[in-house]
Amino acid sequence: MTDLFSYLIRRLGWMLLTVWAVYTFSFILMRSVPGNPFSSERNVPPAIERQLRARFNLDAPPLQQYTDYLVGIVTRGDLGVSIKLEDYTVNEVLAEGFPVSASLAILALVFAITLGVTAGVVSAVYRGTAGDLALMGTAVLGIAIPNFVLASLAILLFVFWIPLFPAAGWGTLRQVILPALCLGAPVAAYIARLTRAGMLEVLGREHVRTAFAKGLPKRTVILKHVLPGALLPVVSYLGPATASVLTGSLVLEKIFALPGIGSHFIYAATQRDYTLAMGMVLTYTVLLFVMNSLVDISYAVIDPRVKLQ
Amino acid sequence: MPPELRRIFVISALLVMGIAVLWATQFDSMPPADFSIQNGTDPKTLDPHRATGQPESRILFGIFSGLLQMLPDGEPDPVTGLQPMSPQPAVAESWEVSDDKKTYTFHLRPDAVWSDGVPITSADFMWSWTRMLHPATACEYNFQLFSVPYAQEFNSGLVEIGDRCEVELFDRPNPDGTTEADTGQASFQAFPRGTMLYGTLKEIRKPPEPTFDDEAGKQLDEKEREQAILNWQETWVYVLDILNQAEPGQIDWDGPTTTQSFTVNLDSPQAAPETQRMHAVLVAFDQLGGIEAPDPHTFVVQLKDPLPYFPSLTAYYPLFPVPRHCIEEHGMPMWTKAENIVSNGAYQVKLRRLRDRVRLEKNPNWFDADQTSIETIDCLSTEGQNTALNMYVTGQIDWVTDPPVALMETLKERDDFYSAPMLSVYFYRLNTTRKPLDDPRVRRALALAIDRQQIVDQVTKAGQVPAFTLVPPGIAGYESPSGFQPDIAKAKQLLVEAGYPGGRGLPKVSVLYNTSEAHRAIAEVIQQQLQNNLNVKVELQNMEWGTFLDKISQLDYDIARSAWIGDYADPNTFLDMWVTDGAQNSTGWSNPDYDRLLQEAAAESDPGKRMQLLADAEAIWIEEMPVIPLYFYVSVNMVKPRIEGFFPSPQDLHPLHLLRIKSPASPTP
Repeated sequence: MTDLFSYLIRRLGWMLLTVWAVYTFSFILMRSVPGNPFSSERNVPPAIERQLRARFNLDAPPLQQYTDYLVGIVTRGDLGVSIKLEDYTVNEVLAEGFPVSASLAILALVFAITLGVTAGVVSAVYRGTAGDLALMGTAVLGIAIPNFVLASLAILLFVFWIPLFPAAGWGTLRQVILPALCLGAPVAAYIARLTRAGMLEVLGREHVRTAFAKGLPKRTVILKHVLPGALLPVVSYLGPATASVLTGSLVLEKIFALPGIGSHFIYAATQRDYTLAMGMVLTYTVLLFVMNSLVDISYAVIDPRVKLQ
Repeated sequence: MPPELRRIFVISALLVMGIAVLWATQFDSMPPADFSIQNGTDPKTLDPHRATGQPESRILFGIFSGLLQMLPDGEPDPVTGLQPMSPQPAVAESWEVSDDKKTYTFHLRPDAVWSDGVPITSADFMWSWTRMLHPATACEYNFQLFSVPYAQEFNSGLVEIGDRCEVELFDRPNPDGTTEADTGQASFQAFPRGTMLYGTLKEIRKPPEPTFDDEAGKQLDEKEREQAILNWQETWVYVLDILNQAEPGQIDWDGPTTTQSFTVNLDSPQAAPETQRMHAVLVAFDQLGGIEAPDPHTFVVQLKDPLPYFPSLTAYYPLFPVPRHCIEEHGMPMWTKAENIVSNGAYQVKLRRLRDRVRLEKNPNWFDADQTSIETIDCLSTEGQNTALNMYVTGQIDWVTDPPVALMETLKERDDFYSAPMLSVYFYRLNTTRKPLDDPRVRRALALAIDRQQIVDQVTKAGQVPAFTLVPPGIAGYESPSGFQPDIAKAKQLLVEAGYPGGRGLPKVSVLYNTSEAHRAIAEVIQQQLQNNLNVKVELQNMEWGTFLDKISQLDYDIARSAWIGDYADPNTFLDMWVTDGAQNSTGWSNPDYDRLLQEAAAESDPGKRMQLLADAEAIWIEEMPVIPLYFYVSVNMVKPRIEGFFPSPQDLHPLHLLRIKSPASPTP
């Protein structure tokens, strides 16, 4: 238990360090690209631009901007006002968009894990059969097809040919199903292949042969003795899977008109909305770091050989 | 780790997953609105003084009303189907113009109220227009009021000795009841304002101006020099004869005064101990008779020039009134939140959800509320063209404002597809400060060698009109000069005259465009045409928006794509961009005759003569060709047949309160 605590504390330290490094790097990068938040087709006179800069503390020397903003984040959790979405603070933008992205990501991941693990187990147990071939063929396709293509096909199929779901939008369960499926599909495919490979490896082990020899039912052997070991690679893949679900949602948010935070990411960058871009980068950093830490912990729990350090 | 713990872990992981799924499937669902618009993207702001784009304007025209409003007037054009629009009474129930066309008197409806019931008076317009022009508001459309005396000086902060000025002291109130003077922290809330003093400017004491002749100065780039100058200006000390008594609205400028001094930066070497800290000394715009409110329902505007299009300006959202009581209570930008905003249009904001929608509902307090038919409207932030079309086909959207270009040919045939000429032009800016485009002959040669018909037929496809002039057709009373016709032989001849026979020796030029499929396709066609027709090699260069704008404003390009949508229905909106050093010029082009013609046109009160002067100016522009016009846009909309009252209009304006739903709402899936 103590090693878990010291691990958590060390991870937290690393996270703060990473976030700080990301902050510094993004800060420098953002200000060194050409253009600024106030560029527009109508040119703004210098005196007015200065007023605007003052409003967002962009008139201070860079070092002071750097510390002021950092202090604001650390002491008040305040990511500032969005420069381009004038009526909103960055915290408000995150508060509105994050639950949507999170819902989508959760549903996509749960769908991916359920489908992927089931398919993997089935094809490992019935390896070499036509069913195995079909499942794994589908999985290869699932990995190869990018999710925006999948989304277009899904819309064609389930919105126009078989009108089951609405074309886009957010607010009902029916509206979230298609995007969650499209977002989860590539992950599911990957998990299916990982599970199958893991299962096959463990199925060949001696303890499994012993279990079968003892006369245990097939079901028990698979679920109790094979699956936990076979899931290790899947668990370690969940970190990258979360990343892929979060970043993959950028495209799907546009196709399905979802009010998540993904699209802000791109806009903030292209429109030089420094504060919003920073808020997005930091949010994603923290999110990915936390997910990876969780994955590491669960890894140690499932596999006694893994030590947290 | 003991096995029990492991089991607990697995169970709790499953539990957490279950809870997460439960949470993720909870939605606070909202019944669909009666009518849904594809608004393209989120409005950046709902403050009429800060907004610029189309998504903002669609909502602002719905939720605010100006003195006048643009409404259909007369029969639609039989050929294009365009419905002419004209400014008609809104908050002002009538208006008069003086004989010299310089004084407008608006009579406000006595029953006009804000959506919270507070009456709208002429003082609201005084305050709103002052806020719109105030430098700290940084309204991009501020120039629309520059024909009012002192407006431009007020907006740009220019003051001269002898001017009648206002001084805003450094004591703007904070929301918590303190003032700037108490905390020492500058507030960017320019409204409510700090203590206002009025007086005549006597002297400006300036410390020595920074020079950039020494070694350190030479190393500074343009931005840093600009900053140094601005810093220097903050140390100026203004000395004014301040009126002892000044009641805003009835100031006696000849009353008794006391001499006082003010500065922005108290560390200034010129500051005396009694010098007071202030925000700015500005010309007292609202006290000098440019705009006046003789009584609560009369609003008088003086103009420097007889602008025939002034009534249409008052029907455009930057000149709409904004609710003073709401802005002063909540501050900027909080007053635009759905729960705070007070407006005075046919609709009011019910809900704003980022990347999703702005829900509007009928404003029962609007003066013409009987005319409003649809109860709720959703302005959806749907960006994807295909997504919007899918939603239209399946009944989730009733009005598509941006149909996919790839499907244009098919969509054009449909009955619910509306396309009509629009007051806007797509063009290529030429950098006239660089070789070879500094030579008008080369510029003309390029312009003559482009086949615009091919571009509109094969690339843009929605029925755009090839452009050979600057001003789009369709402005009443204005006839553009004949322009030119594509003529490859003549283009070749011009190149020979310029010293580049057969394109030989012509330095390579590049076409800069902001990253977008549509712009790339057009640039590629032009690249091909110039290569084939003139043997001129052109490079294509794409950049994302921010960098692209930077390059243009710094004149760091050869040819750059651009476009302009008319701000009002008058040739002036297209022509005054190109005056010498105009803020939107960005080509380096300058022609004294052109500048003079525009000035004369502005001062001309006879409409016919004025239009002739403008046409003469356009002829110079065409001759010199600092910009290659390519095509005039068309507005493209798709509206469900169940909607009545939709018609194409020259500025793509569609008053929401005129829309009607014919039959009971069609079922939405």
